[in-house]
Amino acid sequence: MQWLLDFLKGKWLRHPLHPILVHVPMAMWPSALIFDLLSRWNGNAMVRLSFYAIIFGLVTSLLAVPTGVVDWSGIKKEKPAWKIGLYHMILNLVAALLFAINLGLRVHTFREDAFVAGAPLVLSIIGTALLIGSAYLGGLMVYDYGISVARMSKKKWRGIAKAGGANLPAE
Amino acid sequence: MLKDFLEGKPLRHPLHPFLVHFPIGLFILSLLLDLVSLGFPSVPNLVRDAFYAMLIGIIGALVAAVPGFVDYTDIRNDHPGKRTATAHLTLNLIVVGLYGINLGIRSSTLNALRTPAGPVILSLVGIALLSVSGYLGGRLVYDEGIRVGRHKRRTPTPENTLHLTTGENSEEVIVPVPEAESVGDRETLRVEIDGQVIAIAKLDGIFYAFQEFCTHRFGPLSEGDFKGFDVQCPWHNSCFDVRTGKVTNGPAKVDLKTFKVELRDGKVCVGVRRSVEKSL
Repeated sequence: MQWLLDFLKGKWLRHPLHPILVHVPMAMWPSALIFDLLSRWNGNAMVRLSFYAIIFGLVTSLLAVPTGVVDWSGIKKEKPAWKIGLYHMILNLVAALLFAINLGLRVHTFREDAFVAGAPLVLSIIGTALLIGSAYLGGLMVYDYGISVARMSKKKWRGIAKAGGANLPAE
Repeated sequence: MLKDFLEGKPLRHPLHPFLVHFPIGLFILSLLLDLVSLGFPSVPNLVRDAFYAMLIGIIGALVAAVPGFVDYTDIRNDHPGKRTATAHLTLNLIVVGLYGINLGIRSSTLNALRTPAGPVILSLVGIALLSVSGYLGGRLVYDEGIRVGRHKRRTPTPENTLHLTTGENSEEVIVPVPEAESVGDRETLRVEIDGQVIAIAKLDGIFYAFQEFCTHRFGPLSEGDFKGFDVQCPWHNSCFDVRTGKVTNGPAKVDLKTFKVELRDGKVCVGVRRSVEKSL
């Protein structure tokens, strides 16, 4: 089991996996909204592009789930980042669910539709808003609370600090 | 003001790593659509869709480049991550150039059923280079801690480390710090004296000197923020009293080394012990 956890944490890559994988849904779903809006002018090409973007985002978001859960489970419950992680996770699940419903509404008509309107467009707007809010929380975890920062490079930095004559914690 | 905005300080989150999601995702989508067009040429307009995905990806890349460059200039010149950042920047420029060429070539074949081999190969090369570059960008954050907690500090951070030597044999020596006069309030210097790396901070007109490295995961305290007499590590928010080196807030548990600061003939001087303790 430990090998699986290490794999999901990205130790083999020396880089956490979750922030890599999330690029895809994070780009695809807001882009789907842009394509929906552009479909008013550019027609069916944008309707189809939006459909492909949603589906590609959904598949990749499913892959990103286990890596995110593993990273989150490594945070101590009393830390502020734990709660942010919880909200991040809930928002992501809701956003993914909305885009799954969105996809279902389009699947039979996206090849012919001239533009995107009504329920699918509204779902794209809400889903994108939730996703951006959620992504912001994910970014705060890294850039404000340092989650996963220097996790895999701790040894290197310890060496640099030691050479620089610093007081060090016990290993 | 503009620099602070481009560094994402009002947002407490750097802009560049947010914006880069779009070109990365769209370039991958564009390649996928190319590949689908090769496998299923009966699906209409895939070639055109791939073109649009790429076009919007290039626009996103150009937008992301601006805060990326500002972030780059903010990295201390002798930071171990600076070279990685230079490689990341260079690769990205090459990738955008390749996609520009790619877009130009495919613009004449938008009605084709299959994306021609040339542009597909260019896209494959582009994705390969982009993956490497994106990986390096991630290493800058997760390995080197670049931009982590940087928004908390509103004053400029040191551009270089000052390298000084004592050149004396006594146990403890007082070393004048040449650039200390130019340090503004709540600003810092990063100084290395005979191997000992020290952060020097000016708080309310008074200088304090303490070890550069946090005792948790060794984050750069010369890039930290100040709260009263506490320095806060940019990485995981450990706080230390700069007067005593004592931990005032975790996760760090071990106190900092502090150094005596004296004014001699109007010069700011730091007291260091000759032999740097390698143990402990």
